[in-house]
Amino acid sequence: MDMFVKKRIKAIQKGDQNAYAEIVELYKDKVYRLCYRMLGNRHEAEDAAQEAFIRAYVNIDTYNPTMKFSSWLYRIATNLSIDKLRKKKPDVYLDEEVRGTEGLTVYSQLPAKEASPEDTVESLELQETVQQAIEKLPEKYRSVIVLKYIEDLSLQEISEILDLPIGTVKTRIHRGREALRKHLGHL
Amino acid sequence: MKCPDKIIEWMHDYLDGDIVPDHEKALREHLQHCPECSHHFNSLKKTVAFIQHASHLAPPSDFTKNVMAKLPKEKKRVRIGR
Repeated sequence: MDMFVKKRIKAIQKGDQNAYAEIVELYKDKVYRLCYRMLGNRHEAEDAAQEAFIRAYVNIDTYNPTMKFSSWLYRIATNLSIDKLRKKKPDVYLDEEVRGTEGLTVYSQLPAKEASPEDTVESLELQETVQQAIEKLPEKYRSVIVLKYIEDLSLQEISEILDLPIGTVKTRIHRGREALRKHLGHL
Repeated sequence: MKCPDKIIEWMHDYLDGDIVPDHEKALREHLQHCPECSHHFNSLKKTVAFIQHASHLAPPSDFTKNVMAKLPKEKKRVRIGR
């Protein structure tokens, strides 16, 4: 493991709180992003990310250094996000009619012109569509897709974070990609 | 004609970066002759590009300060004996 992180963790385990600020700085973007993609809301993402860091701090003595520290942290953040998702009521579906617009769906409100993924992705509407599509995924597919494509982690790391066999991780990524394709593949 | 399920499986193996060379060759050959699978593969690749390019949000600037303020003041320690 990275020497920087290793030293900080030792210091934290000895009671040095300031060392923890450096750990939070180092991982806050990634943990926040993970929570945002899982939950789809900035406010909830901030709460979840804060809570993840607090839990990691309180439980630092249970951290086992054979696992990457980032994987351990992502595991806490993913589990917290899943807990929060389970407490939320199910959202509207993408192809459901938008209130007050007879026969119009979310899809038909999107610009119809063709553009490359890089150009199209610039648009805010598409950003929202991508996030909505992620939110339509059942949580077991959502977590693997977020870890793979938003956090850019290897199948091995994802398997460690979620404590699942690699084969299961692969199957979930395949199904998650197929489900996303149905929402995004035609854009 | 319905294409075998393994074609879709190979597409995903390819996207995971762990397709074996024989399968990759067979997949390429199939895609050249099958517009339907070719469309499927392209829409999968496009989907991945969309997800990967999703904008990267940052937490508020006072995030670290807020976490630090919420940490318990003193870490709980297991006391041995009395």
